[in-house]
Amino acid sequence: MAVAVLTELSALENTLGLPRSNKFSALAGERPVPVLQTNDGPRLVGLATIASHLVKQARKEQLLGASSEERAAVQQWLEYRVTRIDGRPSREEADGVLRELSAYLQDRVYLAGNRLTLADILAYHGLHPLMVALPVHEKERYVNVSRWFSHVQQYPGVKQHLPAIVFLKNRLYARGP
Amino acid sequence: MAAGTLYTYPENWRAFKALIAAQYSGAQITVHSVPPHFQFGQTNKTPEFLKKFPVGKVPAFEGADGFCVFESNAIAYYVANEDLRGNTVAAAAQVLQWVSFADSEILPPASTWVFPTLGIMQYNKQATEHAKEEVKRVLVILDAHLKTRTFLVGERVTLADIAVVCSLLWLYKQVLEPAFRQPYGNVTRWFVTCVNQPQFQSVLGDFKLCEKMAQFDAKKFAETQPKKETSKKEKTPKEMKKEEKKQEKKKEEEGPNEELDECEQVLAAEPKSKDPYAHLPKSSFIMDEFKRKYSNEDTLTVALPYFWEHFDKEGWSIWYAEYRFPKELTQTFMSCNLITGMFQRLDKLRKTAFASVILSGTNNDSIISGVWVFRGQELAFTLCEDWQIDYESYTWRKLDVDSEECKTLVKEYFLWEGDFKNLGKPFNQGKIFK
Repeated sequence: MAVAVLTELSALENTLGLPRSNKFSALAGERPVPVLQTNDGPRLVGLATIASHLVKQARKEQLLGASSEERAAVQQWLEYRVTRIDGRPSREEADGVLRELSAYLQDRVYLAGNRLTLADILAYHGLHPLMVALPVHEKERYVNVSRWFSHVQQYPGVKQHLPAIVFLKNRLYARGP
Repeated sequence: MAAGTLYTYPENWRAFKALIAAQYSGAQITVHSVPPHFQFGQTNKTPEFLKKFPVGKVPAFEGADGFCVFESNAIAYYVANEDLRGNTVAAAAQVLQWVSFADSEILPPASTWVFPTLGIMQYNKQATEHAKEEVKRVLVILDAHLKTRTFLVGERVTLADIAVVCSLLWLYKQVLEPAFRQPYGNVTRWFVTCVNQPQFQSVLGDFKLCEKMAQFDAKKFAETQPKKETSKKEKTPKEMKKEEKKQEKKKEEEGPNEELDECEQVLAAEPKSKDPYAHLPKSSFIMDEFKRKYSNEDTLTVALPYFWEHFDKEGWSIWYAEYRFPKELTQTFMSCNLITGMFQRLDKLRKTAFASVILSGTNNDSIISGVWVFRGQELAFTLCEDWQIDYESYTWRKLDVDSEECKTLVKEYFLWEGDFKNLGKPFNQGKIFK
């Protein structure tokens, strides 16, 4: 099976409407690190770096944030994706991530600013394996993550090859946090 | 794609619905909200307009192809696209549900609560408190719905979000201060996200959420209250004076306003000895007595002779005032509101002043002028901050009490009859401050 992170970068190319002209490879290791050899520049290493580069290639800079604060927030969540979400987190670590995100998303629709950014797209891809396995009552417990995830996966072009996850809009269990 | 002209008055939140929808759909809309294209209250009353839009209300939309539609929700629907209307019958029904919800559940209490804070409706404590409870009820419903949803219907902005956001605009701007909106975080998250979408932003500008709950704006309310002037125009000055007397009485019967403004509070709190005119020697001219004569007896044969017989030029002064910006005076009824508004703001001055202020000329060619009698030799306006709102808009000239000019002006202004040579425009209507 292809390395998941390379599949993700191909999906991102589709999302951005880029032709499949980039050649990705992966540095072998415990956690595969993607590499992109550009035609006219240096080798780019790492998911966040390559993804940001693709966005610029597609001339969709608004996905990197509209203001300098937003751009910083986007980078912050790309880093969060790589350091906290990736790399097979333990059960406790996963709970921690969902708790953090749910608290953060309580008064936000998107991770950075008021529009969808690259941060949402990569966080969505990173969280997908975790959300697939999440039982209904857990989805309800992390209601803000669920609402955000449900919205992002239905955003045109974002889902790509990933299967849609079902979220209930009506709450089954009495009271979540 | 729809294209055409939207008639409205400026900053009309109902028109915003269509304009935001057009931002999403790409419909080309030209807005006619100011002269020479559109003058609210005039253009929409013309036979030509009524032929197209029988209700005579705005917003009203006229397509480039001649298609006409009124009612803001219908216009928004027409200029929208499939995504905004709801892509399936079920989604479209839900969109319609929230659009109706905005009109029937949100607007009535929102108006009751917000309008007095804008000074466009009288404040009624009971009604406002009831409206607050109704608004809470609505917010609870929205909050529960938005807990698991990003937008009201589906995962994209629809007419539902546009209509409900627009119906909440004034609430979030005027009264939903942080403490009040705190329990409805899901509503605020959704609202803030919507108004920050570029399509909303280009219509609404940068939206600032309320920081402190606005209260009833009594001053502005007094200013904007139209008095039924039109029917009075035909009456003689004498009759009008009587009418005014009646109004005065009515006002007294209504009792004091529930909320005293700052100025009134200061004055009310002050002990009697702090009468601003306490330093003046007692005057032989009794203002109340003159006002009684003026109100109840013939002006020419009784009140005027009484005035000159008893007037004390040491203790009182007579001033001529003229409005400094006559070019800004357009509709005569608006000018009259300017005068009555000034009188209302000077309410506390009534005991020690008398004035006859008249509007001369016609629409778009008029002037406001008046003759004022004040206690003492100075203008009274500096005594209280609230009295200073209007006086800078007038030029003030102290009249020499013994001069012929003064006698003529007093006679003409008190009688509302004469040549008014100082103005060169015919008398239109007058107001008495007493």
